Amino acid sequence: MILLLAATVGTLFGSGAYLMLKPDLLRIVAGLVLVSNAAILALLAAALDRGRAPILPLGDGAVSDPVVQALALTGIVIGLAVAALLFVLAYQVYATSETIDLDELSQLETRREQELEQEEVSV
Amino acid sequence: MSPVLPLMIAWVAAVVLALLDSRRRWVAWLVVAALALVFASSLALLLDVLAHGPRTTVAGGWPMGIGIVFSADALGATFAAVSVGVVLAAVLFEALHGTRSRTFGALALFLTTGLCGLFLTGDVFNFYVFFELAMIAAYSLTTYGQEARQLRAGLVFAVVNLLGSFIFLIGVAGLYRVTGTLTMELVAERVATVDSAATVPIAISLLVAFLVKLGLFPFHFWLPTVYASARPAVAAILGGALANIGAYGLLRFGADILPETLRLGAPVLLVLGIASLLYGSLQAVARRSAPGVLAYSSIGQVGYVIVALAIGGPVGYAAAILYAVVNSLNKALLFLASELRGWLVGLAFAVGALSVAGVPPAAGFLAKLEVLRAGVEQGAVVLGLLVLGSALSFVYMFQIYQHDFWREERSVPAGGRAIGAVTASVAVVVLALGLWPEPLLAVSRRAAAMLAGGAG
Repeated sequence: MILLLAATVGTLFGSGAYLMLKPDLLRIVAGLVLVSNAAILALLAAALDRGRAPILPLGDGAVSDPVVQALALTGIVIGLAVAALLFVLAYQVYATSETIDLDELSQLETRREQELEQEEVSV
Repeated sequence: MSPVLPLMIAWVAAVVLALLDSRRRWVAWLVVAALALVFASSLALLLDVLAHGPRTTVAGGWPMGIGIVFSADALGATFAAVSVGVVLAAVLFEALHGTRSRTFGALALFLTTGLCGLFLTGDVFNFYVFFELAMIAAYSLTTYGQEARQLRAGLVFAVVNLLGSFIFLIGVAGLYRVTGTLTMELVAERVATVDSAATVPIAISLLVAFLVKLGLFPFHFWLPTVYASARPAVAAILGGALANIGAYGLLRFGADILPETLRLGAPVLLVLGIASLLYGSLQAVARRSAPGVLAYSSIGQVGYVIVALAIGGPVGYAAAILYAVVNSLNKALLFLASELRGWLVGLAFAVGALSVAGVPPAAGFLAKLEVLRAGVEQGAVVLGLLVLGSALSFVYMFQIYQHDFWREERSVPAGGRAIGAVTASVAVVVLALGLWPEPLLAVSRRAAAMLAGGAG
């Protein structure tokens, strides 16, 4: 089970990192969402044990660790908020620059810098 | 005094002010008043901690070990007071300038909430939550101004730093796995018995997360765009308050929780610190615009903090704390002064430049002196490189000072006298700390002694 979870975390993280290297903002955001889920799964896997659900744990027998579940919930909430924020940012970039391609965005940036330098020289 | 007081004030004020429009004058002043209150309470907390030792409280009145622990010690309280002070100066600056966005005030307060929370928490996961709170507010603040390049910078900033914080979260999961607790004190106790094969990967993930935050070479690539595009007040908050998270995180997680692993990794940190120092300084010498120079200077200056941390021991930690504090004041001052003109601002900028270059009587002299003192034991090569970095910082700071403040024809109309006074008052603080260094030295030595003394 540990090995399976470790492999899943690794695959999620790897796919996320791969997507983040693409020159497309939406893919980058999607990659980040995958990475956030890898982190949450790692949290869950951090206390993998067998036991009853930790709701009113009376009687004998092992109870599974409730702390990581609380952590994972917090992680999911933060991941959701962050994904929403990133989509808004990506949309705002699209609204102002009319492209979500990183190569085109960096060309815009370079052009702006050259303009600034020329201004400087002319002064 | 309860360690959660500054946090609660900032939190409540942030929630209330989120409903109001920061562009109105009275709201902007309300934000300043709330931050002044947070600043006063964090200063009071610092004095209290220095007089009576660390303060600990458990949220919700739960017994120790179940509830979330908040704890204020000399290290956390110092960083909290300095960071809140920097945010206060930046918000005051922006209030005098005229706030341009509805959410600026609330975001600055949420950022302060996050900073207070993470400096004053005693719980590893809680640290992550407040860290993310501060960062999310910072991503939104970077886009303040809503120009195309600020939006692009905000996106780059958010993507790179989020990757860093998820790596940090994986590190937290690892810490919980090997120790079975989230309370920092207990983690530090139990991790000492864990095999280093398990702690090294955890330490690496935490290290990467904090180095990304600090913008240390080779994790610096996002930093110049972000610092150079953000408006001066926001750049001051990012460079002066937010970067403290990285320095504090390394001190807390490295020196306090994982001291053995830090000792193992010291050579790596030393090399990274010196590489960052030289790279940042050389790049800064090649820049011609004040924000560009300051951005690369930030990369160079954090190199000193890392070198001091790598040297370790009471002397090294004290130097790292002192340098981080002085550096955040320097950066706040320089970013605030960078787009204003006038004799008063010119003087303030000169004080900041002297401080970065390490010329007495500015506080930067003291900080550099401490780092060099710590570096003496490391031999001539390290010492020589530190001095070289210092000389380069003198070159780039005065290049930019000359370029911006001595050429009359380029002078932009000076901001109001009040704005000049805000920057000048930060400059006075930097000068005062240089002229009367005993309190700052005593505080950083106290905090360092606590770190070097093991857990707690």
